[in-house]
Order: sequence, then structure tokens, then C-alpha cells
Amino acid sequence: MLRNEHILAHVNRGRVVPHRLSADDGRVTEVAERLIACYESHREGPRSRLERELALLEEELGPRLDARRGFKVVRALGKLLQDRAEWAPPTSADPYHVRTRLFELAAQMPEFPAEKPDLLQSPTREDVISRVSRETGLEDPVQVMYADRQKAQILRQFERPTPEELISRYNLAQVQGVLYSARELVVDLGREADAELIFRYAKLMELIYRIELTGSGYRLCLDGPLSLFGPVRKYGLRIAKFVPGLMLTQPWSLSAGVLWRGREAVLELDSETSGLTSHYRRPGDEPGDEVRRAFRKAWERSRDTGGWELESGAGIIPLPGLRTALVPDFSLLNRETGELAHLEILGFWTERHLIDRAAQIREAGERGARVLVAAPEGLGATPEALDAALGKEVIWYKTRLDPRAVLENL
Amino acid sequence: MFSGILFRSVIRLAYESGTLVATGPERPPEPFVWDERTEQWRAPASAYRETVLRLRRENIPHRDAAAAFGRLRLESRIALEPRPYQVEALRAWRAAGLRGVIVLPTGAGKTAVAVEAIGRVGRSALVVVPTLALLKQWYSVLHDAFGESVEVGLLGGGYHQVTPLTVTTYDSAYIHAERYGDRFAFVVYDEVHHLPAPKNRVISQMLLAPYALGLTATPERPDGEHRLLPELVGEVVYRRSPEELAGRYLAPYELVRIPVELTAAERVEYAQADAVYRDFLAKHRLSVRSPEDWQRFILVAATSHSGGREALLAARRRREIVQSAYRKGATLETLLKRHWSDRTIVFTKSVDEVYALSQRFLIPGITYETLARERKDILDRFREGRYRAIIASDVLNEGVDVPEANVGILLAGSASPREYVQRLGRILRPREGKRAILYELVTTATGEEFTARRRREVRF
Repeated sequence: MLRNEHILAHVNRGRVVPHRLSADDGRVTEVAERLIACYESHREGPRSRLERELALLEEELGPRLDARRGFKVVRALGKLLQDRAEWAPPTSADPYHVRTRLFELAAQMPEFPAEKPDLLQSPTREDVISRVSRETGLEDPVQVMYADRQKAQILRQFERPTPEELISRYNLAQVQGVLYSARELVVDLGREADAELIFRYAKLMELIYRIELTGSGYRLCLDGPLSLFGPVRKYGLRIAKFVPGLMLTQPWSLSAGVLWRGREAVLELDSETSGLTSHYRRPGDEPGDEVRRAFRKAWERSRDTGGWELESGAGIIPLPGLRTALVPDFSLLNRETGELAHLEILGFWTERHLIDRAAQIREAGERGARVLVAAPEGLGATPEALDAALGKEVIWYKTRLDPRAVLENL
Repeated sequence: MFSGILFRSVIRLAYESGTLVATGPERPPEPFVWDERTEQWRAPASAYRETVLRLRRENIPHRDAAAAFGRLRLESRIALEPRPYQVEALRAWRAAGLRGVIVLPTGAGKTAVAVEAIGRVGRSALVVVPTLALLKQWYSVLHDAFGESVEVGLLGGGYHQVTPLTVTTYDSAYIHAERYGDRFAFVVYDEVHHLPAPKNRVISQMLLAPYALGLTATPERPDGEHRLLPELVGEVVYRRSPEELAGRYLAPYELVRIPVELTAAERVEYAQADAVYRDFLAKHRLSVRSPEDWQRFILVAATSHSGGREALLAARRRREIVQSAYRKGATLETLLKRHWSDRTIVFTKSVDEVYALSQRFLIPGITYETLARERKDILDRFREGRYRAIIASDVLNEGVDVPEANVGILLAGSASPREYVQRLGRILRPREGKRAILYELVTTATGEEFTARRRREVRF
């Protein structure tokens, strides 16, 4: 993440445009390469030397990118590289002990320990140092006395990115930086978006949402508990951390009211044109995904579904009390009667996950939603326990879920 | 059956992320509002005091599941004889319901008032301070006072340990208060004029703390937002000006200005660098009188193709010559020698200079980098006389307490009058028969001379 001092943007007709770099620009990739190489070449070297080198690079490379703001861009890239570095102390001696002895002994001298010896044989600085040297076995205690300063640390680990990765991270980090001052985030989600993933990140960042149906999907407004009493910018950092999660899916568009250089402005982005890539890791296949795919295929092949149709986009059942929403695996609509039902397929999850999900399904039921639950046989919980937790009967399946078993329960 | 009915008509209060949530069949009193997002009645956590008082007054049955604070047995280890005005200040604060702001000049012992208040309230307390230096100072003071009864916690500046007696910064409280806002019955805002800043206001909203104390020498803010203080902490309950306490409680001092001349070699080098720098300024019709002018110079120099880089280097070299002027070090050595039996604090602006001089003269250095424990350790030894001199960068500003110093040496400082006044305040500690001296070393033939003159114009 970048700090406020690294954030660059401009405002155009009330819209804030975060600074971005193009990986197609040769000058940009060269700067990125030089910075990465600089870090690489300072492995096992002290931090102060690396920082001096980076300061020089700021002056040298900055103007090549942008006459006025180039040095800031270079500094921001440097900060993102710093996030990938690990540091270690340079000595096994205890600098605190060494300097404390130096100070104590110096202060015990009846007169100030002078730098140079004089005719009166007054105590000297050298007297103090050689005594500490004898005590500690260190050749030069003064050299070691501040070895625990951050500047003296050694670059131990560096997770090297490619120039393109660094540039991509920079572009997203600038967007995040603009969001630090956001009051709220409004996200429009298309039906194909993975809403469950989004609610997972919203909950992880402890954001509160409001949800509305729109013509093409859903609109989420995200902010925090205190936002109720008037605009606060306190949740901007969490919003900034939420956004890379949102970017793992699509389609979406977002807008946020931010403060840029003391002026209100709006940040607007959408998945189609943003050109941004999330650095969060996409969660892998969930257990049960195979079952879901097979179920859809089997459903599509079924001859008689009694008027029930499998909806393409997932439904969202808001659960305000639980600070989340249930996004069932499938929604089923009966064209004739207009009845709507949902189907949730449980997988071999952790117990915690299972308990959470059971609570959500029960809450959804209490709010009037009809949710059928299917679970694989051999799931940790006993059928009775699961029935009790969910407050309803479960459709059990062995390896695949038969559409007929579902239809029987509808 | 009966108890079931009774239970159902009870209003239950809970703390949730910086807010107060009420559940029950009845509508809770103002300022609770219905939160449609989560379907709950919600109020800012700061409504706790008024809400509970009102529920009690109107005999409305309620259950308080919000407060997670408890009593603390705090016995101060340091026997302090409070000064009369400190006693008055505390009395006024108690009369106002253990809420309000106390205004005392720098050096009048605001910290001692707070320590006394924390002991009297005897509940878990949070102390909010503006800087990391103050964070460490408060840690040290509270540890000395209550270390035997309770562990002192720190939140901010790399520390994240929350105990029933915790010190934090405004910045960290802004981020974390919503997580710990239910744990403290009492909040002390040091330098409380920082609280009404738009960002910091939220902190008091997130805290349940029914008791609050604000401390400052100057509650007024240029933006006028101090009008919010009564709502955030309480009214000003006690106020004394420096004039009212001068002489008796604030020690007089003597100011000695020592011009430091560059050596012949330094003068030549300085003149060369200065010529390159000034030529560039003249060529580009620039003049440098303010920080903004300096920014403009950097900008022009960084983008100029002819001589820009040289001008930047020359400007830097010019500064370095002054910073590390040989005679400055030699003068400092003379002063340290002369005051070896006193308690001397050397101030400088530059962190690197602190470490360089600490290594050169073998006196302990304190900067923002110094950890809380080591800082306390150094100041304790300094107080006990085991260290005769210390050198510190700006960290000793704004209310940081150094009780035993009677000699100050100011190496190079900015021209901020407030900063200057407060630095002087450090040394103006009452001590019987103490005569404080403040030396100011100013390298001549440089801009620092002007800075020093401007500073001396400040009257107080």
C-alpha cells in the first residue's frame, strides 16, 4: 500500500483521475527495471545505502517520467518494492548494551572525556571506548552502538516482481490511495458477478452494506457503523482494501465520493475499462464446484422439470442481522406459478464455515426465502444435527445431485 | 413467567464498532436512530453517558452489556505535593461531573494533574496524545506512578498492547478506537486542541468513556473549531495563564547566543557553493524566502537541463557545511565541558546529527526512533544524575517533560515561534535555586542568523 504522500491524481470536471503508468511505455518499464535491479543488487546490504541509492535514482529517473511529479512516481514505486522486502539486524552484538556502557562510563568520568589527550592527562574519549572494547570483545564499539537503527538493517529477503507486475500494482495502489478519503463506496454488480466473493470481502473488511435491485443486477452501498450519523472518512482505508477483492470478479462499476486536495470529487471505475488487475489471490475451486457443474448439466438434460427453470444469475438474500448476504448456488423460478426457490449445495467445508452457512440459511428462511439444502453423505455433521441446525430437511446425495431429488422437494 | 415478561421489556445496550446498539421492544431514547442497514437502533458510543443517566433517571429497566471497563486499584508510587492551582483545577473538574478541559501553561505540570485524576477516578483509562514522543513520555510517567498496580499499555508507533491503562496517539485512536472503545471508563486527551480536527473528532464518538479530561496550554484553534470542545470533552473548567504562574512556579532563565564562525577552509567552500546556487537563482529570477520558494527552486532545478543538478548539489553542500561546521562541534564540546556537573540537554533538528554527535561525544541520543523503554531508561538515568547530558531531536517538543535539566543548548532550529517557546518551556521547570541557561549556537554567514533573530522577537 502507498502512503498519502505517494498518491498522485488530478481532477477533471469533478472526477478524480488517479495517476497511472503504462507498461507499454518503454521509459516506464526501464524505470521499473532499474528500481527492481537496485533492490536486487542491495541484497545483504545495509538499508541506509539502499535508501541513498534510491534517493539518487529519484533525482535521475524521476524527470524522465514526468518533469514535475516524476520523483514522486519513483518514490511510490520504491515504496511498493519496500513492501516486498524483509530486513534483519547486521550484528549479533547487542547495540543497546554497548551504547549504554559507553554512556555510563563516559558520564562517570570526573571531567568531560575530551576528543584529544591534553597535558593534564584528563580522561579522553579513547579511554572510554577501549574499556568498552575490552568488556565486550568488540573491536570498534562506536561502530556497533547504533547498529539496531532501521538504517543499519540488512536486506535479507526480496520478493522480486517483474516490471509489469510492479506497474500493475502501482496503478491499483494509486486507485486505493485515492479511496483512503472515501466516505462510502457504491458498487453496481452485474448478475454474472460472483456476489458471494464480494460479500466475503465486505465482511472481512468489516464494512456495512445496503443493497438494492437494479435493472441489470444489484447496487451495493458500503460504509461503516458510524456513517449513520453523518459522513465520516474513517472507512476509506477499508474500502481501499476491499476494492482489489471486488476486482477478482466482474462485471461491476463503482463510484466513491472522495476528498482530493481538500475538494470533493468522485472516483468512478468499471470492470470493462479500468484495465486494473487485482493483486489478491483468486480463491481456488471450492469443494463442491464439480457437483454444481454436474447438477447444471443434468438439469439441462432433464425432460420434465415441472415448470421450474434454473435462473442464470444467482439470487442475493440480504441478511442485515448477520452483516452479510446469502448467495445461494442456484435460483429456481416457476414460470407458471411465479414461485421462487433457492438451492444451496454444501461441501466438505470446515466446521466453522458449515456453522456460519447454516446460520445464514436459517436466517434466510426466517426472512421468508425458500432455500433447499443439499449435502453430500459423509459430511462431518450427522443428518439429525444438520437438520436441527438448519431447521429443515436436507437433500442428501452420494457423488452427484440428481435434479429429480431436488424437484421432489420443491 | 413474571421474570420473563420483565426481561422482555428491558432495553439492552451493547457496544459495536464504535457505536452503541440498543435492543428491546421499546424505542430507545435520543440520540438513537434506526439503522436500516443492520436493522438495529444505533447511537454513537459517546452517547453512553447521557443514555445511561437518562435510563436511570426515568427508571427505565435496562441491561448494560456495552461497558467492558472495570475498577482499577491504582496506587501512585510517586508522592507528589500538588501545587495549589493543580488542586483547584482538579476540584473544578470534579465539580463539572468528571468532564471538561483544564488549561495550564507549558511547564505547569499538566501531566501531574492527569495522573492525579486517573488515580482518583480509579477506572480503566485511555490517554490520547498527539506525538510518538509524548506517547513514550506518558508511558514513562504512568509506569512510574502506577506500574506496581497495573501494566501500562501502548497503542501506536509500532506498539499494540492494550491494557486497562493505555497510552495511544490521535492517529492510532482514529484507527483502533472502535475496537477498544468499550474498555475505558476515562479518557484523557493531552494537547486537547488536536481533538476538534475533523479527523480526530470521530475518536470521541467511538469511546463509551463517561469521564473525560482535556489538557492544553492553548485550547483556541485558528479554524475556530474549538467551539466543539464542550461537546467532545466538556467545558473549560479551569484556566491559568503563564503570567499568573510566572516567577513563582516557572523558573527564570538566561539566554546566551553564541555566533559560530566558519573556519577559513569552510568559508571558501561555502562561498563557492553559494555562488553556484545564487547564480542559478539569478538566472531563473528566483528568490528563496519561504518554504514555498524553496519548493519552487527544487522544481526548477530538477527540471532544468543547464546547471540545475549543480545548483541542487551546491544548495545541499551549503547546508551540509553549516550543519557540520567544525567550530559548532568544538563549541559544543566546550559547553559540555563547562557544564559537566550540570544537567544539559542538547537540541537539534536533525536526527542524523543526534546520532553523529551521540557517537562523537558519547552522550545518549533520543529521537523519534528511540523505543519507549530505552527512552524512559535514558531520562530516568538523566534525572538520577547517572547521565550528565543528553542530545535530542525535535521529540522533546510539545509538552514533553524533562524535569532536571538546567542547561539547554540549541543547535539549529526552525523559525517557528511556537516551537521555540515550547522548547524553552522544557527547561523552565521549577526547581529551588535553579538558574537555567539556554545557549543558542548560530552559524554566521548563513540563513540561520536571520532565523535566530526572528525567534528572539517572540515575547512572553
